[in-house]
Order: sequence, then structure tokens, then C-alpha cells
Amino acid sequence: MKAIWILAVREWRSLFLSPLAWSLLAVLFCICAYMFNSGVAHYQINQMQFQAYGRGGTGPSLTDWTVTPLLGNAAILLLLILPLITMRLIADEKRRRTWPALAASPISPTGIVLGKYLGLLLFLVVTVALLGLMPATLFLYGNPDPGQVLAGLLGLFLVAATFGAVGLAASSATENPIVAAVATFGILLLLWIVAWMGESSGTGMDRILAYASLINHYEKFLHGIVSTADLAYFILVSAGGLIFARQRLLAERLEGH
Amino acid sequence: MSDNMIEIADLTRFYGQTRVLDRINLTVKRGEVMGFLGPNGAGKTTTMRILAGLLAPTEGSVTVAGIDALEHPEAARARIGFLPEDPPIYDEMTVREYLAYLAGLRGVPGRERGAAVDKAMLRCGLTEVSERLLRNLSKGFRQRAAIAQAIVHGPDVVILDEPTVGLDPLQIREIRKLIRQLGGTHSVLLSTHILPEVRMTCDRVALIHKGRIVLEDTLEALDHRSRREGRLLVRWNNPPAEAELAALPGVARVERDDTHWVITPAPETDPIPPLLARSVAQGWDLRELSPASQDLEEIFVQLTQQEAAEDAAREAA
Repeated sequence: MKAIWILAVREWRSLFLSPLAWSLLAVLFCICAYMFNSGVAHYQINQMQFQAYGRGGTGPSLTDWTVTPLLGNAAILLLLILPLITMRLIADEKRRRTWPALAASPISPTGIVLGKYLGLLLFLVVTVALLGLMPATLFLYGNPDPGQVLAGLLGLFLVAATFGAVGLAASSATENPIVAAVATFGILLLLWIVAWMGESSGTGMDRILAYASLINHYEKFLHGIVSTADLAYFILVSAGGLIFARQRLLAERLEGH
Repeated sequence: MSDNMIEIADLTRFYGQTRVLDRINLTVKRGEVMGFLGPNGAGKTTTMRILAGLLAPTEGSVTVAGIDALEHPEAARARIGFLPEDPPIYDEMTVREYLAYLAGLRGVPGRERGAAVDKAMLRCGLTEVSERLLRNLSKGFRQRAAIAQAIVHGPDVVILDEPTVGLDPLQIREIRKLIRQLGGTHSVLLSTHILPEVRMTCDRVALIHKGRIVLEDTLEALDHRSRREGRLLVRWNNPPAEAELAALPGVARVERDDTHWVITPAPETDPIPPLLARSVAQGWDLRELSPASQDLEEIFVQLTQQEAAEDAAREAA
């Protein structure tokens, strides 16, 4: 257990030591800030139009107009960015030949996978928390729905954690980080768009495809709905990625050279 | 607990259809330095990677410090320090961070970690560069850091895969001294191509060829064995003709290298008294007479060629 924690902390620190992670985070925050600002501007115009011509009701929701699109787009950006961060987790240790120092330590393949993943999760917690600062500023000037904002941030964290598990799996399957990044990106994109194929009719296959689609589950979180079914989806996909990575490491001891 | 710190029994390993290790048996005792020799591709690195837990054997058993490494791989790995062929260096860390991280990963408790790191740095001569980034260090220092990571957690068994490759002569000397020091407190398995290195650092040697152990013995026994064959190295200032020497009683064969005559005695005879008597009587001016110890290189070449010849014979049959 101790070894897992030591590995996780070292992974987390090395992510923050790498210029790649910093530059990717900078890109993420610049684009998100721009989108958030334009969301707020749109909301203001809408609000004025509602006051001028509105016929009763509560008017446009601040959260729906600003936070929901921000978090929705942030997930798409993470889909593009996270493969570049997760690609190094295991593949880079092999490429740099540091893998034997880790693998010859008294830590099991399960421990290595969990330690690496935990380190990544710590990084993602920081990322999502920093992104959460943008919606947090709204509380100074307006009345966003705190439940919906928190559900959305939780959803974003789960999406990122799922991306991370897929990335870890890809990184365990190759020695080449770029190949790992491309594979991760491909799998994530497929998970994202798989529902598009299932929208034509209502057969059983379509329902499976709709369930497999990540975006369907994420949208519920963005609308403030936290359900066990959606939680289970993210946990299942993440666990699948971790188990795949563990099996790869075990198989390597049998097949490798 | 038994005195054997490494016990490898009937170890076999396939890569796909290729058999790279064929029922290997090897033991290393407590405090012993075992030299592990063999041509490239003979199976040295594979054996070491299996010992370190990076690879699983196809068949056979591996016991480290009395722990079955296949049943309890993590417990066994805690007793092992491994230096792979390529030094496993994290460029972005300082020497101290690097050693502290790996010490922690290998179960050295937090409050003892600083002392363990200091000790390993002292033994490997890294104290002066402890706060430098590994990226900025020379090859010699990086190699030393890689050795330090193999001993930082105080393992019983240290496995070193070609520790002196790519170092300059001065560094090689220091590393050999370090390996010598390691023996005694640790059991060391050391692979190398450099045969004099074995003589300087090892107590015993094992020679592996085509996945089989073809020789395992102490250095003393090897020396003894070659002396028993009894060849003599002789030098005269005023040497006689070759035929005259060959005619002496007890002399089976006479050869000549650049500086010396090499005399092989007939079985069960002692050619020294007639040689001495004749030298004095004929005024050959004897300057040197010594037993020719067969050096490791000759044994190495002889055994590997013998195997190759046997293989050829088998294929022909």
C-alpha cells in the first residue's frame, strides 16, 4: 500500500515537473476562459432581451448558459489533451529504460497500475478544481445552481478519470508514447461518438450503443442529475482500463524478453 | 535458513519457440561474488531478468534468500537489488531524490530513508553530486547512481548486469573495488564480458553457453585444474633446438610463443628434473620456469568451441 502511494506521489510530481503538462494545461485554461467569457456575454444579452420582451417565468438559467457549455467543451478539450499526458505513464518508463528499476521493486503489477492511476487522478483533481474556479466566480455576481455546478464538476472529473484509465491501458500496451497517445485518442473519440450510430432506430443494439456512449452519461451530470447508473458507467469503463493494463503487465512477464 | 542466497533449479525459458535457457542450475552463497560469463545471446541477461522478477520462467524454480520467487514474487524482490544493462535513470531527478524514491518504493521506512540514501551515496562515491540533476551528470556518475539504486534498500542479493560497460579505466577500477566490498555483506551475481574483471572481483564463476551452464567452479579450482595439466612456461637466453627439447624424457609436446617455450609433459611424468639438469649442463642459461596457468579466456574459448563442435557433430549424425 505504501509503495502505491509513493509511486502515486512521484507520478503526480513528475507530471507537474514536465513542461508538456504545463503547456497543455495552459492551452486548456486559455480556451476554457475564452469560452466561459463568451458564455457569460451571451447570457447577459439574453437576459436583457428577456427583460425587454419576456412574458413571465424565470428567464434563462445562468448555469445552463454559462457552466454547462463550459464543462461540455472542457470535456472535449480533455479528450484532445489527456492522451498526451497519459501516453507517458508506462510507455515512457520502458522507452527510457527505467522500467526495470520499477518492475524489480517489491510492488505487484496491480500496485504499479494503481499507483500510476492514483498519481494521474491527483493531477486531474487539481485540473478540475482549477477549472471550477471559473464557475465559482459566478457566485459573486449571480445565482447559479450550486447543485448543478457541483454535479457538472463531478461529471467532468469522472470523464477525465475515465479518459485517464483508457490512456493508462494504451500506455501499458506499447513502448512508444506516441502510439499510446494515438490509440487513446482513437478509443476516446469512438466512446464519444458511438451513440451517433445508434440514433437511427430503437433496436436493442442501438440501446447498447447509446449506453456505451460517454456523452449521454456526461450530459446527465451537466444537467444536475447524479444517478447510480451513470456513476456505474464511468466506474466500469475505468476499471476495464485498469484491468487491461494489469493483464498487459502480467502477460509481459510471460511473453517478454 | 540455508546458506544459499540464490538457488536456481532446472530453469527453462522459451521465447516463442526458441529455447533460450535450458534447465539451468545455479547457486550463490551468502557473501559470495559469482561471475556470470558467456558470449552475447547465451542467456545471461534473461537469467538475470528472471531473477529480478521482470520475466517469468517457463519451467523451474527460483529461490532468493529462502523465499520462493514464483510463489511470493514481491517478498523475494524486496531482498534483491538489480542493475539492468541500461542504467535506469530518471533524468529529471537529483541523485538524492532518485535514491530516496526507489528506497521508499522498496520498503525502506520514511525515517530510515535519509540514512539509507546517504550510506548508498557514500559507498558509490556520489555524495559530492547528491543535489545535482541526473541529466547533468557524466556517464560514470550515472552508472554509479544506477548501482546505488541496486543497494540502497540493503538487499541480500545484488544482481549486476555488465556494471562496468562504457566506463573509463579509473571508474572501472572504483566500481570493481565497490563490487569487491559488496561481497561479504551481499551475495552478488555479476555478468560481464571482461574476463580479467572476473579474476579481480569474483569468488566463483559460471559459464553459460547457448542457454546451458557449461562450467561452474571456484576460481581457485579452475587455477588448480589448469596447473594439474602441468604445462610449463620456460625461457632461456640461449635456447636449444626444438627437436632437442622434444627428445627429453617426459616431454610430450613443445610449442613456442612470442617470449616463452610451452612444454606439455607426458602423462604421469615430471619433466622438470631433466630440463634443469640439461639446461645447466648445456649452458642454455635458464631465466624462467613456471607453471602455465590456463587463463579464463582460454577456458572460455575452449568450452564454447567444444560445445559448437558437439552441436555440429550432432547435426551431422
